[in-house]
Amino acid sequence: MGDYVWFHDVSWHATYAIYFFVIGILAGLSFLSYGSWMMPALRPLREKAAYGSLGLLVVGGLLLIADLSQPLRFLNILNPAYLHFTSPLAWGALNIVAFGVCSLLYIVELRKGEESVRGKTLAMVTALLALGLPIYTGYDLSVHQSRPMWNTPIMPVLFVALAIASGSAVGTLLAGGNQAAQKILREFMLWSTAAVGVMLIGILGTTNYGGSAEELTFMILTTGTMGMLFIGVGFLAGTAAPVAMLFFAHLKERTTGLFLAAILILLGSAALRYALLMGPQQLQTLY
Amino acid sequence: MSEELRVSPIETREVPGKRRFAMVVDVRRCIGCMACQVACKAEYDTPLGVNRTWVPYKVVGKYPNVKKHFLPRLCNHCDDPPCVRNCPVEATFKVDDGGFILQRYERCIGCRSCMAACPYNARFMLPAHRTYTPITNVVDKCTFCFHRVTQNLVPACVQTCIGRSRVFGDLNDPTSEVSYLVAKNATQVLRPEQGTKPHVFYIGADRNQTEFGRDAYRQPEVMELERAAFKRHFKI
Repeated sequence: MGDYVWFHDVSWHATYAIYFFVIGILAGLSFLSYGSWMMPALRPLREKAAYGSLGLLVVGGLLLIADLSQPLRFLNILNPAYLHFTSPLAWGALNIVAFGVCSLLYIVELRKGEESVRGKTLAMVTALLALGLPIYTGYDLSVHQSRPMWNTPIMPVLFVALAIASGSAVGTLLAGGNQAAQKILREFMLWSTAAVGVMLIGILGTTNYGGSAEELTFMILTTGTMGMLFIGVGFLAGTAAPVAMLFFAHLKERTTGLFLAAILILLGSAALRYALLMGPQQLQTLY
Repeated sequence: MSEELRVSPIETREVPGKRRFAMVVDVRRCIGCMACQVACKAEYDTPLGVNRTWVPYKVVGKYPNVKKHFLPRLCNHCDDPPCVRNCPVEATFKVDDGGFILQRYERCIGCRSCMAACPYNARFMLPAHRTYTPITNVVDKCTFCFHRVTQNLVPACVQTCIGRSRVFGDLNDPTSEVSYLVAKNATQVLRPEQGTKPHVFYIGADRNQTEFGRDAYRQPEVMELERAAFKRHFKI
C-alpha cells in the first residue's frame, strides 16, 4: 500500500516478434530450396521457396527498419566506421545483407533454368547464410544476461528448430498434393517440432528452478493471457498437437492432416516467438 | 577491487592514472523529497514519463512496525557495461578517464538493444516531440552529469540532495569521500550477480527493493491503466 513503483516500457515490441517469425520462415524456405538439389522429391519447391524467401526478406527488412526509432539511420549499422562487433545485431545486419545478395544471385541463376554447379553452390551458400539468421536472432536474446529465459545458450538452437519447422510448414502448403514432397516435409516438420517441444520443456524447467526473477518469469509465462499464448497456443496447439498429428499422418498418408499440422505449427511458432520475446521483458519493467 | 578481480580490459577501477567516478547513496539519509529527481529534470529537460533518476519507495511491515524505504535509482555506470557491448553502432560508449557511460545521440539508431541489455532499467527512449530540446527518438540515460563533473562540479542530484544522501567522487582517489564511505561502510550494489560491476553503491538499502518480490508478478495487472495511458501519450 502506498508504494511508488516507477514502471518502464519494454525494450522490444511485437514488431520484433513478427520479424522473428518472418525471418524463421524465410530461413526454412531457403533450406528447402537447397534441399531440392539433394532430394529430387523437393524439386518442385525449388523456385517457389527461393522466391518466397527473398520476398519475406523484403518484408522482414522493412519490419526491422520500421521498428527502429530512427529508421533512416539504419545505414549506420552497415557503416564500417560505426560497426561494433561485440553486438549480435551488427553481425545480424551483415548476415542479412549477405543473405540478400546471395539470394538475388541464386534467383538469377535459377531463372536460367539450368541444373548448374554454380546454382547448387549458390543454393548452399544461401542456405548457410540463412542458417545464420535464426542463430543471430536467438543469440540476440541469449546475450542479455539479466533476462531470465532469454539468457540460455539453447535459444539460437531453438530458433533454428523453429525456422525448420515453420519453413517446412510453409513448404507443405506450397507443395499442394505432391505426395513425394509431403513425405519428406512431414519428416522435417515432425522432428523439428518435436525438438522445439523438448527444448521448450528444458527451458521452462530450468527457468522454474532458477532464482526469484526466473521463477516470476515462469509464472508470467504460464498464467493469464501470456500463459494462454505460450502454453495454450504455442506449446499444446502449436507443438504437441502437430507432433501427434504428424506421427499418425505417417500411417494413413492424409494430406488434410498434414495441412492442418502445418497451419498449427505456423500459429504455434508465431505465438511462441511472441511469448518468448515479450514474457521475459514484463518482469524487468518493474525493477 | 583487486587486480585479480578485473576481468575485462574496459574496467578502470584501481587503474593507476585514471579516475573512476562513483556515487554512494546512503539510503538511511534519504527522506524521499524527490529533489534529486526534480534537479535532474531541470538540468536536462527530461520529458514527462521518463527519468534519468527516480526514487521509488516501498512501505514495508505491518502497523505499528512499518517503514517507508526509498531507493534512489540512476544509471550505475558499470565498469563492465552490457549496454556498451550490445550497441551495434557504438552509440553508447565508456569514457576511459572517469568511467562515464555516455550516449552519442547523432549515431543512435533506436534499436533499443542497450535498453534490453541494461539490468537496471536506466535507459529510456526519448519521445518524438519535445518542447525545448531537439534531441528526440533516441535512447537517453543518466550521464553522471559529465558536463558538470568536467568543470569540477558535482552532479545536479548530488548538489541538491538535502540530506547529503548522495555523495559523488573519484573512487580511484583514496582520499575522496566516496572511497572513505565505501571503505568504512558495508555497501551494496544492485544485481551484483549480473557481473556488471556497478558504480552506484548503496548504504543501508532494503532487500525488499533491491530484489524481485512476489508483488512484481502482481503489478502488471494493477498498473494496466497507467501503463496504457503512458503508451497512448507517447504513441508507443
